[in-house]
Amino acid sequence: MAAAAAGVVATLAVALWAEGRFARAAAFRTAVTTAAYLELVIPPPRPPTPPPTPRRPRTRPSRTRRPAPAPLPPPSVAAPDTTDYDVVQLLVQARALTTLPGWTAPVEVYHGTAPLVDATAPPLPAAELARLRRQEPPRWRNGAALVPLKDRRGLRVVGAVEVGLPPGRGVWDLLLRWALPAALLTLAAVGAVAWQRAPPRALVAAGLLLGLAAYADVRGAARRSTDDWLTGTRLLLREAATRLPTPRARVTIADLASLVRGAGELVPADSGTVAPRRFRFAGVPRAAATARLGSGRWVEVRTVPAEAYTGGWLLALLGLALTGPLAALGLGWAERMTARPRELRETAAAWAFVAPAGLHLALFSLGPILFALYLSVHRWVPAEPVRPFVGLANFGAVLRDPLVWVSLRNTVLYTLYVPVSMAVALLVALALDGHGRAMRLARTAFLLPYVSSVVAVGLLWQWLYHADVGLVNRLLSFVGAGPFDWLGRPRTALLAVMLLSIWVHVGYQMVVFRAGLQGIPRAYLDAARVDGANAWQRFWRVTFPLLRPVTVFVLVTGVIGAFQVFGYVYVLTSGGPLHATDVVAYRVYQSAWQFSQFGYASALSLLVFLVLCAATWAQFRLLAERVEYA
Amino acid sequence: MASVTLRGLTKVFDGTAQAAVHELSLEVRDGEFLVLLGPSGCGKTTALRCIAGLEEPTAGEVLIGDRVVTHLPPAERDVAMVFQNYALYPHLSVRENIAFALEVRGVPPGDVTRRVAETAVRLGLGELLDRRPAQLSGGQRQRVALARAIVRAPHVFLFDEPLSNLDPNLRIALRAELLALHRALRATMIYVTHDQVEAMTMGQRIAILHLGRLRQVGTPADVYERPADAFAARFVGSPGMNVLQGRVRGLADGGRVVEVGTLSVPIELSTYEGELQLGIRPEHVGLSGVDQGVGNADVLVVEPLGSETLVHLNAGGQGLVARLPGIVDVQVGTRVGVRLDRRRTHLFDAAGVRIA
Repeated sequence: MAAAAAGVVATLAVALWAEGRFARAAAFRTAVTTAAYLELVIPPPRPPTPPPTPRRPRTRPSRTRRPAPAPLPPPSVAAPDTTDYDVVQLLVQARALTTLPGWTAPVEVYHGTAPLVDATAPPLPAAELARLRRQEPPRWRNGAALVPLKDRRGLRVVGAVEVGLPPGRGVWDLLLRWALPAALLTLAAVGAVAWQRAPPRALVAAGLLLGLAAYADVRGAARRSTDDWLTGTRLLLREAATRLPTPRARVTIADLASLVRGAGELVPADSGTVAPRRFRFAGVPRAAATARLGSGRWVEVRTVPAEAYTGGWLLALLGLALTGPLAALGLGWAERMTARPRELRETAAAWAFVAPAGLHLALFSLGPILFALYLSVHRWVPAEPVRPFVGLANFGAVLRDPLVWVSLRNTVLYTLYVPVSMAVALLVALALDGHGRAMRLARTAFLLPYVSSVVAVGLLWQWLYHADVGLVNRLLSFVGAGPFDWLGRPRTALLAVMLLSIWVHVGYQMVVFRAGLQGIPRAYLDAARVDGANAWQRFWRVTFPLLRPVTVFVLVTGVIGAFQVFGYVYVLTSGGPLHATDVVAYRVYQSAWQFSQFGYASALSLLVFLVLCAATWAQFRLLAERVEYA
Repeated sequence: MASVTLRGLTKVFDGTAQAAVHELSLEVRDGEFLVLLGPSGCGKTTALRCIAGLEEPTAGEVLIGDRVVTHLPPAERDVAMVFQNYALYPHLSVRENIAFALEVRGVPPGDVTRRVAETAVRLGLGELLDRRPAQLSGGQRQRVALARAIVRAPHVFLFDEPLSNLDPNLRIALRAELLALHRALRATMIYVTHDQVEAMTMGQRIAILHLGRLRQVGTPADVYERPADAFAARFVGSPGMNVLQGRVRGLADGGRVVEVGTLSVPIELSTYEGELQLGIRPEHVGLSGVDQGVGNADVLVVEPLGSETLVHLNAGGQGLVARLPGIVDVQVGTRVGVRLDRRRTHLFDAAGVRIA
């Protein structure tokens, strides 16, 4: 129970921390944008007036350490130092920030260490400025985000911008629209279970609820974080348009782009809603707000909505919220089990036995399948950082792709080799059913292609099929036929691959059939002989029906294998000529590794998987009835 | 109907030195029920499979009726066989199992249906015709196997331990049924078993095989009362005959006795000298007071069976079983005198061949 309670508290703490993190992220982004705004809108000092030294005359040890690249002393130089700001202008603009209608976050601008907005505020400690100059990562300080203010060239750090949390975004304000009630509910559930007023299952339900509630809060915080930045940026954009030295009518997006650099993008827009909104652009989620630059001129600032990528938090919070309940359940189970040590031992042993196979399955079967599922509903290209969710679009693209249908037809045609090779294999198995040396040798010879390297076999047959020097054409020339370009003609290429597959698979199928034949009790055949059945009747009416499970096995595995054929196609024809040997596995391969369309490829392989499931089910239904031995 | 004649039948399997069946000559008369009896590995099943045509004999001849069928396939011998595990085709229903032999022989479908129905009625299988073998009990499977054999109305029936997989009560019931069937069909039947009780109760004649050789052929009474050798003596009967190692000794008064452990049994055999084996069935052994019989023995085990009591004795290292009527009060570990019914003793030479 203590564990459950601790789990509740931990979940709350993590949710709180995550929300704070998002709020701070918004403050940081706003601070960076504000700094960019200031850098943009403050005009250079006017040349005629001898510029008052922009730096404060205070001694700043950190500055003395830095070698000054643009020495000030020579007064005769015509061009003044235009890289620093006109302090008056900086002061004006900084103070103007707080008067922007709709601007809520507390903001302070330091020039050097001197506060400009609130002149009575304590100055920025010199160590902090030094930190910023050393380009150390921005820091959260005294409940506000502190980022460097650079000079006009964007090189030198001349001050700092500090943006705090807007009112209503403090840590305790965040707490917690959903999570707190859910946490209380969960604690109540813990109590109820502890006093045995509720079944332990209730704990799990409460944990689930808590996890979801905490996630809802975190997600809300993430959303607010994006909204706050968008709102602030929109205000700054509008303001920047009025304050830029260039004529207002000519303010362009390029002029303003530095405001959102690294955080979003600016696109021209029609008039639109001012409030932040969400939409999808090319499948990628986007958040945007529109700012008016001038009469009839609007610009839209777009960014990635923070809440769109909070899936990890959901997992983490759910996991955390369920830890307590699950631990409580586990403890209860362990308590019951220790009362029955024998059962515990057996359960533990059973899990121990299952574990290796289970792990293997999870890691190498379930995992990849789940990943393929994930890929199939996303646009996933290795080189692109954004992997948006696209729903069933990949499946739609697969179904609309004529090449997919071509490859599917080819695959089905190719699969027809399976019954042929099975018939041959069964014949061979019956013919070579002996114990002699020659029999064993012949069986080995038949099996050899199957255990040989796919590429080696492919290359060998590539030569056999060669239009000019191939053995097949040589043999055909003796009977006056050919020559054919087996692999080069769309009509024969698939057939050639099928012949090769028969050659490869007969050996394996023969081995399986032989094992099946040996598994049939001799008594049945003896009985049939006494009953007067001839050899054909014995085979057709006794052996073959009794072989049915083996036949089904060979057929099903053969069809599955045929649907997955890749190596021989890859080596022999690369899917050509004119897609005549383009099979689905090759299509999957090409989509993924040559066209980098992993989502598409996963969707296609899942469709193939479904087709195979259906085909296998049908085969079992048709063939697998009544196979029991008496 | 037909007789079955084996002439010097020998079967040696590849890779084995010893013959599974060695020079077996036997005549089974037309309509006879003959039991081939022997322990497992004695060659009785091999002999049966040679008759069926499932094994090719290494040497010798098989005749069915007057026809030499040694090298004919089973289909042309007109024999039916019931296998130990029934060998019912698992993928066919009972009806199809029974009809199989008729169908593969090209019997017209109408006839097949009629004959299957008749046979099913005869063996009480009417309800089961559409089941599969896996859905039947052991006894039902046995009946189907019988039906499959008799539906063809063959001249010779071969049974390979058909009852050995059944529980004892069912076995007794089916034994009687088989005999009734034999009477009704009047067909020649050759029945292989290792169970001497089955052989005694069913066989008109019994042929005892041991190590691939025929030891004795005769009616159950013959085989029981005049076993041809020590093996047949021990094998038939439950418990089997006591066969004791002994030595002939002449007495001062001109009589002769066999010294068997602590017993000395007078015999009327004037010419024989040296080692011999003395056989006596348990029911011909009695107990008496110490020193009042042919010798004394220690009581090892007493098995009261109700109607009779088996007393296992140790007579100077020779084991001996006495079967006494009713419940007998004998204490284990006591010494008792042994009486033998002298008219019922059997004498075998050292190699086990009957002398008298």
